[in-house]
Amino acid sequence: MTIDELRARAAQRQQTCSQIKKMIVSRLDLEIEPGWITDDQPLFGRGLELDSLDVLELYVAIEAEFGVALYDSDMAVFGSVSRLADEVDPALRAPA
Amino acid sequence: MASVLATRHPEDTVHGQVGDATVPLRFSSLAEEYQVLRERAAVLDLGGHRLIEITGPAAVDFAQRILARDVEYLTSDRCMMSLVLDDSGQVVDQVIAFGREDGLLLESSCGAGSRLLDHLLAHAVEGAEIADRSADLTVIGLEGPYAWGVVGRLIDGELASLPFESVVEATWDDVDIVFARTGYTGEYGYQMIVPREASAGLWAGALEHAQAAGQEALELAMLEVRQPIPRHEATPGATVIEIGANWLVDITKDDFVGRAAVLEAFEAGSGRRTVGFTGCEGVPAPGTRVLAGGQDVGEVVHAVHSAGLGATLGLARVDPELAAAGLDLTVGGLGVTTLTSPYIVPKSWSIPII
Repeated sequence: MTIDELRARAAQRQQTCSQIKKMIVSRLDLEIEPGWITDDQPLFGRGLELDSLDVLELYVAIEAEFGVALYDSDMAVFGSVSRLADEVDPALRAPA
Repeated sequence: MASVLATRHPEDTVHGQVGDATVPLRFSSLAEEYQVLRERAAVLDLGGHRLIEITGPAAVDFAQRILARDVEYLTSDRCMMSLVLDDSGQVVDQVIAFGREDGLLLESSCGAGSRLLDHLLAHAVEGAEIADRSADLTVIGLEGPYAWGVVGRLIDGELASLPFESVVEATWDDVDIVFARTGYTGEYGYQMIVPREASAGLWAGALEHAQAAGQEALELAMLEVRQPIPRHEATPGATVIEIGANWLVDITKDDFVGRAAVLEAFEAGSGRRTVGFTGCEGVPAPGTRVLAGGQDVGEVVHAVHSAGLGATLGLARVDPELAAAGLDLTVGGLGVTTLTSPYIVPKSWSIPII
């Protein structure tokens, strides 16, 4: 791929990640700017320190915002914002 | 600084220098110790982590100024991981801060104790006593998907299910210890702060239920879940934003050493960003150039062979518009693919404590 194609592909993921971060901050009423959350940081326990109640809130929020139901998914989908992006936009997982 | 347990380790243990500490790098083989850590339970000699006590009427205010996270209400039953920064926002160390009745106890990262102590002393204030407690205390860790079972057999099963970052005073074999639920690798993790004279007994006791793992296996497992390893990632000149360690900084806190520089870097949006990658042959050295579409876009920060992936796993610092998973880049002339974190899903995420 050319560098412009790679940048476009990266931008697609970064846009989805940005949308997820805004959703997390808004739904969980966090006091940080969405951009402070990194794509790869842990979300539960370490990192953003979300708990199981936060997960329930995010299940609802993700379905409302992205139309994706994650209720039966394992906790790995909440491993990071970027991992969540893979779930809400499967096109991101397609081979480059 | 050498671990007080060094003489207790088998003769063929491979020790190595990490910063100011001589630590066990591996006891048997990296592959075996990694498997123990990811599949069962590993006991860790964390004697390379220095313990520094801050006490006195100004202890909490001093710690609040030194630590990048908010410790104003860190009670004696809690601990938290935080960065310590210098005035320019560069990482001095990544510590675990334990709330204590009379102040705080800071646990340095491996081999960074002297640097941390020098930094604390350079910022010392009246009313905050700073004391290196490493002469009389040491740390032993347990980590792995069944580490909770070891806690039950070694001390008390109820301690195993403590909430993350909880701390209790406990007793092992009539010895008072500080017991904490922590974790570096995404697996169930615990730490025991123990008097040095009792540490050999506790180490031997833990080995009856778990297998020792060295620094190499621990750092590999940390990398796989994107737990920052300061000695590899905090390269000269790299900002917290470039390292991607924002979560170890409470930027909403009004004031702490380095805050202005971190905020400036965040608001500027400049610099590079860190992303994981796999692929290529061998293990590229730090500084190896990273290319995208034939153009130089960054460099390798740290790389290893990941036993979990069965392939090279590394971190690269690249131009921000290319810091994303799922891209095919080139490292040292060979193809790699950038990754989504965590790179390995810890087994503990699907195993309940029973």
